[in-house]
Amino acid sequence: MSSAEIEVSQVRKVYYKDRLEIPVLDGLNLKIAAGEFVALMGPSGSGKSTLLHLVGGLDTPTGGSVRVGDAYLESMTERERTAWRSRHIGFIFQMYHLVPVLTAAQNVELPLLLFKMAANERKERVKTALTIVGLGDRMDHRPNQLSGGQEQRVAIARAIVTDPDAILADEPTGDLDAKTSDEILDLLNLLNSEFGKSILMVTHDPKAASRSNRIVHLEKGLLEREEINPVTVRESAVA
Amino acid sequence: MTLTLVMLKNFRRNPLRVALTAVAFALPMAIFVAAISMVVALNEASANTEKELRIGVHHKTSLVNPLPEGMRRKIEGLDPDRTRLTGVCGMRWFGGRVPNTQNTLTSLAADADTFPTVYSDTYMQPAEIAAWNKDRQACVVGMNPAEEYGWKTGDRVTLESTVPPYLQLEFHIVKVLDNPERANFFWFRRDYLVESLKEKGEDDPRCNIFWVKCNSAQSLRSLQKDIDALFANTPDETKSEDENTFGANFIQMAGNIPGLMQAMSVVVVVIVAMVAGNTMMMSFRERTRELAVFKAIGFQSRKVFQLVVGESLLLALGGSLLGIVPISLVLWLHPIPMRQMGPVGSLEISWMAAGISLVIALVVGLAAGFGRPTKPCVYEQQMRCGALSKD
Ligand SMILES: Nc1ncnc2c1ncn2[C@@H]1O[C@H](COP(=O)(O)OP(=O)(O)O)[C@@H](O)[C@H]1O
Ligand SMILES: [Mg+2]
Repeated sequence: MSSAEIEVSQVRKVYYKDRLEIPVLDGLNLKIAAGEFVALMGPSGSGKSTLLHLVGGLDTPTGGSVRVGDAYLESMTERERTAWRSRHIGFIFQMYHLVPVLTAAQNVELPLLLFKMAANERKERVKTALTIVGLGDRMDHRPNQLSGGQEQRVAIARAIVTDPDAILADEPTGDLDAKTSDEILDLLNLLNSEFGKSILMVTHDPKAASRSNRIVHLEKGLLEREEINPVTVRESAVA
Repeated sequence: MTLTLVMLKNFRRNPLRVALTAVAFALPMAIFVAAISMVVALNEASANTEKELRIGVHHKTSLVNPLPEGMRRKIEGLDPDRTRLTGVCGMRWFGGRVPNTQNTLTSLAADADTFPTVYSDTYMQPAEIAAWNKDRQACVVGMNPAEEYGWKTGDRVTLESTVPPYLQLEFHIVKVLDNPERANFFWFRRDYLVESLKEKGEDDPRCNIFWVKCNSAQSLRSLQKDIDALFANTPDETKSEDENTFGANFIQMAGNIPGLMQAMSVVVVVIVAMVAGNTMMMSFRERTRELAVFKAIGFQSRKVFQLVVGESLLLALGGSLLGIVPISLVLWLHPIPMRQMGPVGSLEISWMAAGISLVIALVVGLAAGFGRPTKPCVYEQQMRCGALSKD
């Protein structure tokens, strides 16, 4: 069980497409406490995914700095960031992005192939992760034999199997119906409250956002405003 | 589970496409191996025939009527610049046999200086030629008498002639031939014969036949006409015949067919391989997002790239081997007989062709991995992130 504080300072991000500058983030600041669940909202194209990728070290900012725990991402090489990400970050995507030819268990095992770990310990971990997401009985199913909600659970199991400090979720319920979304959000709440994971979740859905401790709004490259969610903050304080 | 297994599982993604891609490698590769083997066989055959581009010039009446040895100079005089002929070798029938045996050998006394050139298909090595030149009693023998009488290089042997004046001569073997078509031959130096005849009181330096070695089928045709024309209306009218009419015809007819066939095979196999390689690249490009997910999970770019290259190499090599191995085995174990088709005895495997096709498969496999659509989707941050956020 681990958790990390996330600090984004003065981050700028400019994309270049056909020599054209596309400024996306413009000196953005965001601090997420260890064990905090933050929802990131904002119009389409405002740079939410971009911010998530920067925090996960998938991409590098044009300026400013990103710190996760004691890792200063801008001072690391691509290789170092990749190795760091395998241990400290779990990504979840809207379309799950499971490998279709692998079973649920194999998909979840994938990140563990990067660890020096005995085969049966890997198996144990995979089982635990799938049990946490409620799919202990679907280990050998392939993605096309699972429902969307179940696929997202497998993706969540894959994100947590390495026991990362932070979970970065990009519209994890964007493709699910209301009921299934609720179940996935329950799961995220559980990971946050029971396992203490810091979570940064992008969402368009105010209802989903209301499950977080705090909602931040991204607009024109900056965080325009933020709302503390008194209910969930109190709940997580109790838990 | 291992990464190798993950890579192998990718082949289950679209079994039909994998099968078709494999076949797209297998079939052209098999045809390529067969075609190149054929080209190699044709080239060998034509090289052999080329070596035997020889005209035999003998008396118009018969081989038995001898011709003056000075005719050699006259024939050579037809082509002083050596643009058509490479050498002329006069020969005299000796008709020798091992004393106390009945079997007459095809024994001939040949001009010492030109014999190795005109009979280049005896493959005399420099040392053997040197021995032939140095030793007046030198002889080159076919494998039949060598086997029958237990002769080897360096042996001294004696033959007695079956034609007057029935000379008995001693020879020194400088080479035993392993060419089955020359199995019964026995060649020795004509100067030795002439001197030995002189000692017997006979001055008869004449020849039964002059072998004219030509440098091409065309030269052969023209020289054949010119030689007979040269001696027409003289006491020694000649008849020139080429040694291997068929072989010469073949060369003329085949022209550059082997070369064309080779070029065509290469073009076809390269095009098909490129198409198959492109299919593989497309299948990777379709998976850009999945490759990006591997990165998001924490796989190093190099590792992801190894997965991609491993997969395309495996498909290209595996598919090609599917074609190369069976055809190679067939041609190796059961060469296809082709006597009726010409100078190529049988179609055998050319291991070089099998090797080349494997190299092509290897290159295509690597190229598909390193290709424009594939490599950047592993290595380009922006491309990766773009794929991930296009939810
Ligand atoms: N890989 C990329 N290359 C170029 N432009 C990009 C890339 N990713 C995102 N963008 C641009 O950056 C802006 C923000 O994108 P994104 O972060 O995906 O927004 P959001 O997730 O908020 O919808 C958009 O205008 C998008 O076109
Ligand atoms: Mg987005």
